[in-house]
Amino acid sequence: MNFAMALDYQSCIDCKACEVACKEENGVQLGADKQRIWVSQSEKSIFGEPFVALHPSQCNHCQDAPCVDVCPTGSSYFALGGIVMTNKDTCILCKGCMEACPYDARFVDDTHVAVDKCTFCYDTRIVNGEMTTACQATCPTKVRLFGDLDDEEGELIQMLNKRKFYVLKEDEGTVPKLFYMIPEHDKNYAMNSVDEGTNIYTWDEFKPIIEMAKAKRKPQWQAMQE
Amino acid sequence: MKVEISRRKFLQGSVALSITGGSTVSFTNLLATDKKPLHKNVKIATVCEMCVNKCTAWAKVEDGIVKKLDPNPLFPKSKNMLCARGDAGIHALYDPDRLKYPLIRIGKKGEGKFKRATWEEAYHAILNGTKLFKGMKQILEEEKDNRSTLGYCAGEGMGEHTFKQFMGDLIGSANFVNHSSICLKTTTAGYALTLGAYGKADLDNAKYVIMAGANRAEAILTPDTMDMFKRTRGRGLKLIVLDPRYTNTAQHADKWLGIKVGTDLAFVLALTYVVIKEVLFNKEFVAKNMNHFQEYKTHILTNNYTPEWAEKITGIKSHEIYTIARDFMAHAPSAIYYQGRRTAWSLQDFQLRRAQAIFTALGGGIDMKGGIVFGKKLPLDEHTVEIPLYSNIQRRIDKKEATFVGPNGTWIGFRNAIIEKRTPYPLRAMFSYKQNPMQAIPNIAKTRKMFEMLDLAVTIDTMPSDTVMMSDVILPECTYLEREDPVKSFAGVEPAIILRNKVIEPMYDTRAVYDILKGLSQVISKPLFKITAKYDADVQEEIKDASYEDVYEENGFNITKAYEHTQEHINKERVVNEYGEEAYKILKEKGVFYPHMDTYFKQLGMNEYQYYPDDKKYYTSPGGEKLDAQDTCIDEKAIAALKKNLGTASGKVECYLETMKKNGVDPMPTWRDELYNEAPKGKFKFVTGRHAQQTQNSTANNIMLLDVMRENYVWINKEQADEKGIKYGDIVEVKSSVGIIYIKAYPTIKIIKDVVFYVHGFGQESTGLTFGYRNGASDNMIIEDTIESVFGTAAMHETLVEVRKV
Repeated sequence: MNFAMALDYQSCIDCKACEVACKEENGVQLGADKQRIWVSQSEKSIFGEPFVALHPSQCNHCQDAPCVDVCPTGSSYFALGGIVMTNKDTCILCKGCMEACPYDARFVDDTHVAVDKCTFCYDTRIVNGEMTTACQATCPTKVRLFGDLDDEEGELIQMLNKRKFYVLKEDEGTVPKLFYMIPEHDKNYAMNSVDEGTNIYTWDEFKPIIEMAKAKRKPQWQAMQE
Repeated sequence: MKVEISRRKFLQGSVALSITGGSTVSFTNLLATDKKPLHKNVKIATVCEMCVNKCTAWAKVEDGIVKKLDPNPLFPKSKNMLCARGDAGIHALYDPDRLKYPLIRIGKKGEGKFKRATWEEAYHAILNGTKLFKGMKQILEEEKDNRSTLGYCAGEGMGEHTFKQFMGDLIGSANFVNHSSICLKTTTAGYALTLGAYGKADLDNAKYVIMAGANRAEAILTPDTMDMFKRTRGRGLKLIVLDPRYTNTAQHADKWLGIKVGTDLAFVLALTYVVIKEVLFNKEFVAKNMNHFQEYKTHILTNNYTPEWAEKITGIKSHEIYTIARDFMAHAPSAIYYQGRRTAWSLQDFQLRRAQAIFTALGGGIDMKGGIVFGKKLPLDEHTVEIPLYSNIQRRIDKKEATFVGPNGTWIGFRNAIIEKRTPYPLRAMFSYKQNPMQAIPNIAKTRKMFEMLDLAVTIDTMPSDTVMMSDVILPECTYLEREDPVKSFAGVEPAIILRNKVIEPMYDTRAVYDILKGLSQVISKPLFKITAKYDADVQEEIKDASYEDVYEENGFNITKAYEHTQEHINKERVVNEYGEEAYKILKEKGVFYPHMDTYFKQLGMNEYQYYPDDKKYYTSPGGEKLDAQDTCIDEKAIAALKKNLGTASGKVECYLETMKKNGVDPMPTWRDELYNEAPKGKFKFVTGRHAQQTQNSTANNIMLLDVMRENYVWINKEQADEKGIKYGDIVEVKSSVGIIYIKAYPTIKIIKDVVFYVHGFGQESTGLTFGYRNGASDNMIIEDTIESVFGTAAMHETLVEVRKV
């Protein structure tokens, strides 16, 4: 199993249901700066007309995660299916992982005095055999699709086979696993909502990158019981 | 409903009205199941009440504590979602500021000083008053049993009918006001009188939609319109959005047009002009289904409602109007001019809605897939309750405030008539349920004055709202997670019945509204009948013939009888009588029922479900009956009354309304220059709106929702902000003729010039709201109390303001 998520970001309406569902599901600390997931908004003017693109985001659960490497206590680790987790008991709040993360996905949870981040609802849902995250389940326009990259028959792979996508900050070399699906039928919107210089991938092109990073990291993955 | 009719015209004695909720058949053996203790560590099917939409949800309960609310995918209307507010429902339940016990005022009115009371003490205070305020008994004595002196208002909710039945049918007051005149009254009336019903836009199948002013991505986030956002940008639906603001809905549109505030009617008339001039309309549909089309055609052409004319008014280029009109008809009949929700914007709002409805009909997209649909409704067994008839009741106080004032009243007209002492008799008490008039009605200063003038204000709510603060007696309701509410059937393309189960027992000393009214009826029933017996000539006659006791018991005056059964019992009976025991079991367990659900309902993918197979959906209503029970904001009975009084029986699309003509209202949509005010130099038009994280004022103290949006900001065009030296986050003063507020600024390119906007639901003044107190600003502090003249609906976008940096 290798868990990942596809985001059909063009359907996002920035209603913040995912942010609230996440907080309720996972008991995330209150506060606007305490977010496991968020929607970033880019606003520009094209020939005097406003243009806004919404990009929902969270921890990328990188296949080659730098946050795991920098952690001196092993508090940041790979759990089942390559999900990047934090162990709040062993975190010493050195914040090295927060520095290492190129996605700003981590923050300090003052209630546990430890670093917190998205877990793909690992401990509340995945370990119970559920295959949706709280953010996916609650989403009114169904932006998110959580799934298993090893399941060739699964919906996630089917979607990745069908549509092109990009990942965030590819040049950081982290091999992120949030796939942003390119709008298929509106080239203008697609162009305007993706940064210049961003690579667009098909699954055939990206799969080897994932496989390589997985081979490197798989030995570090922990089994379910841990 | 029936209150203005003397009972002499009816059969001797009481009249049994058919009312949803109640009993016809006795099911004594079923009562035992009502007492079942609630389980621990389970998922219970419930229905969200964080807004009006009624999404079904699963409540995860652990050791009696509600831990999580998840979407319940079984309900076709809400599909498989919960919005931010739905997810945050737990914080409505566990809000530390909740009203926990009945309260009786001991300080000055509005001062916020109350004493904790038992339910009996609170009920007796309502009946007898205290040193500080009068009770029902004294008021009715002084008003000689004119029950209409006791006004009442309610917000939308599954318990609204329960409350209306109590105050209107059992107590007998004619003075009801609800959200409709500060909500979608002109829209529902416009569509009902033109098409026969408001209907529902089939956004799942429409190919071309014009959405003007409506903001489906944000405003009270309506679940049944969400799929639209998976269909724009070349995915099957072309969406045109007209709005002075570039909203999240506009962000999804294929085209956004920043229309000038209050000019929508000119835009629709110009579209109509193009379609008629170029003969683009659906000739077959028009010939078969439209009345007075020739008159309308002549009217549009002779008035010269050309796109060039409209450009000058609306600010939208004429070539855009030509293109949209042609594109719309090219996609028709799968083309809709979206009806809209919420309040009237301008003084011409009723005519605007009529013009929109006629324009949609010109394409033929009525009562069919991809157009405006009416669907089917699953019946529920009716239940009868005996109601008394009083002869001293007088008619509504706001009858003369607009041309047509229906049973839901005109809130602004009603309030202004009271404070300006224009009422035919004094309105002396106000019973409020789940509505917060202090924050909901434009011009707060006047609403405060109304409450100050009342002899008695009783409020039922879950939170210490601004209205609670102005009240004499406060009755704490439990939240939606602590009660079972009346079972509800939703009409639509995919009709279903839903049930809100009680998830946990009521916390503190709170009760469901049904039980609150049951308790109150037990205290007031006999003493109030005594007053009736003293002043009501008809009752005196009856007592001569029978006895005092008999008239009380047999003629419906013993109002406690309406509450003989529990809500659970009534629900069970209404479902079982229609669909049998098995259906009730499914409904109770899953929260949703419709025939063949077991075979029709299928999960198609991780995110997709089938509710009805496509060939079983009711895109076209069986028997041509045009239903309006798809939306809880729409009062079916009020619409039926409206159609009966003002509509025609033709069943066709009405271009010309004789009833309007007779009453001095334009019989066909007509642009009136004199009803349009452009903002003079230096002033801005103020527009308000709703968003997806708060529901009106009811969620203002929800800490989880405040986490995603702490306060509101005023939107101002970036160029104009620069001219005034206003930067993001600066405090600005916004001043209208009725009030001044201070708010942080959000200069943006997402709003056109000469307009400012901030969202409703902030700026609460109640000190009982720890988290909600004075966050941002309240829109109704500055919105002028202007009403459109046809129905008396608040025209909320007619206010001019000045903005300056402070």
